[in-house]
Amino acid sequence: MSSDMEIDEFTALHGLVLKKAGQAGEVAEVLGATEAEVAPALDAAVAEKRAMSGRGKYMVTPAGRAWLDEQYPVLFADLRADPGADAAYAGFEEVNRELLALMTRWQTVNVGGEAVPNDHSDAEYDAAVLDQLAKLDSDADPVLEVLAGLVPRLGVHRRRLAEALARASAGETDYVSGVRVASYHTVWFELHEDLLRLLGRTREP
Amino acid sequence: MAIGGVVVLDGSVVPDREEIGNKAHSLATMHRLGMPVPPAFVLTTSVGKRCAGGLPDDVWADVLAALAHLEAATGRRFGEELLVSVRSGAAQSMPGMMDTILNLGITDAVEATLAAASGDAAFARDTHRRFRESYARLVGQDAPADPHEQLRAAICTVFASWGSPRAVAYRNHHRMSHDGGTAVTVQAMVYGNLDDRSGTGVLFTRDPQSGDTTPMGEFLPRGQGEDVVSGEVDPLDLADLAQRLPEVHAALLDAGRALERHARDVQDIEFTVERGRLYLLQTRVAKRSARAALKLAVDFVGEGVLTPAEALARIRPDHVATVLRPVLDPEARATATVLARGEPACPGIGSGRAVADPDEAAFAGEDEDVVLVRHATSPEDVHGMIAARAVCTEVGGRTSHAAVVSRELGCPAVVGCGEGMLAAVEGRTVTVDGTAGEILDGIVPVRTPEPSEVPALARLVAWAKEHPDAVAADHPLVAL
Repeated sequence: MSSDMEIDEFTALHGLVLKKAGQAGEVAEVLGATEAEVAPALDAAVAEKRAMSGRGKYMVTPAGRAWLDEQYPVLFADLRADPGADAAYAGFEEVNRELLALMTRWQTVNVGGEAVPNDHSDAEYDAAVLDQLAKLDSDADPVLEVLAGLVPRLGVHRRRLAEALARASAGETDYVSGVRVASYHTVWFELHEDLLRLLGRTREP
Repeated sequence: MAIGGVVVLDGSVVPDREEIGNKAHSLATMHRLGMPVPPAFVLTTSVGKRCAGGLPDDVWADVLAALAHLEAATGRRFGEELLVSVRSGAAQSMPGMMDTILNLGITDAVEATLAAASGDAAFARDTHRRFRESYARLVGQDAPADPHEQLRAAICTVFASWGSPRAVAYRNHHRMSHDGGTAVTVQAMVYGNLDDRSGTGVLFTRDPQSGDTTPMGEFLPRGQGEDVVSGEVDPLDLADLAQRLPEVHAALLDAGRALERHARDVQDIEFTVERGRLYLLQTRVAKRSARAALKLAVDFVGEGVLTPAEALARIRPDHVATVLRPVLDPEARATATVLARGEPACPGIGSGRAVADPDEAAFAGEDEDVVLVRHATSPEDVHGMIAARAVCTEVGGRTSHAAVVSRELGCPAVVGCGEGMLAAVEGRTVTVDGTAGEILDGIVPVRTPEPSEVPALARLVAWAKEHPDAVAADHPLVAL
């Protein structure tokens, strides 16, 4: 299967920093490409000493990181100058604050003013949070649609978020905030980092 | 009282949970106990099964008859002053069911009446607007001008939501039957914002954090609905309520005691006071801290409410693990130097060399104890967080990405320590107290509390020996 994406060395390295140390398949997943499309570009980056590989995993080198940081302002000069991108990012930040508060409600419950871990014994509480997540997802979608209109590759995150939401609300609760799977929070966190890098911004406290 | 497949909740019957759903069952029980509950009726799950293609006329006739009872009980006419909420209710909660619609029945004329009654035209306008928005979102069409049409379509939408893709997927995953169906509860709205003798609040029949027997609660004068829960306004406590509205306060505590006795457990009660009159909206078993769970179990036995075997059944392994979690040695803590303070984001204690580079943390973390210290965290840091004994950030609060990830990993975390934290701690050996929100210099020794030091624990351990059948063989109470 091909995604018909041109994966150049820049895109592959960008995907690699979003995933950190990763196999070609994991980098492909975050980029919405296939492993066969990503692997040659990652190997080219290794040949350029912009990445290292071992045991099937890749990692960006300091030189590769510096090279990437030089590329962003050049490749995304138009995007960074686009007021539409600014507005969309502001919309993203707004949903981001809600998302993080929601994740916190999923993980902890308020007991007399103290936050204690959610033991997930209250189906009603969990169902309400999952319903809020579905609503947040529909609030986020128009924002992500605008961003995907500006950078088509970003559309992959919409599909990844939809997949995480479907799995989470069906009962695979690890797909809400789990760290080791492509949970809603994992995908959102990567999407956020993707946007920050493209737009040359830093994380808001 | 039943009118066909519609049950008026008047205290005469308490139908099964499977028939009317959990929430309505709780309302019916409160009615049965003589509690002041806003009048309500329920379309049962059995009726719901006949309503897949819309509400049959005979069911609608039953609804109108039940609505007449609501009008009689409230002294208000639907479409003039009486507004209702419409909510789903299955025996077990699941995502994908229709959200509650509030203030159904509101029209331009009702808005004017509400404005006059509350003396707050902005509130009435806002109520009307929020109703229109939520109705359009949930029912999928603009709210009809006729309140009866609003009601009929809303009931149909609740029944239909049982078959929503998300609800179906949830039941499939949990191997739940698709035959159960949902009930629909229609309840008269009450208002906490009509005058100074009105308000809304919550009552815990005991302190859910400490387990102390003193009831605790919050009251927001002139507050409505979600105001208390949202935490945007500072509410008053129960002592203030006792001063403002002594009869309400007394009635509330009486109701709390009765509900607690009935459920044989601590209750978390939502209430509204409308013009000095108390209404209970909901009661449920209160969530509690691990410490409180232990104390409550022992107290309820002392009060003759539970048997020791029943008390043991309420203690989960994680309750025991939490109360026996290591704490900083108090004497060593007293002399330790605090390098930085921040917001506690994930409880627990971790010590190690403070490392600012997540790659180094991931690498070194395999052989030595490291603490990851960052300005903020990005997805690239997650592998470093996995390897670290604790995580600290300069910026971000308890809802930051770093906090979410650290809780997922169970990694003690202090966030938002402020600019300069990195410079103060990097390279040093530190101890992070994720419960207190402190970074301490050096390795501060920890100690695990002795079971005898934890209130109520010794008693439970003794009971576990006396009643081996009441606890699982691998329960930590057995091993202690």
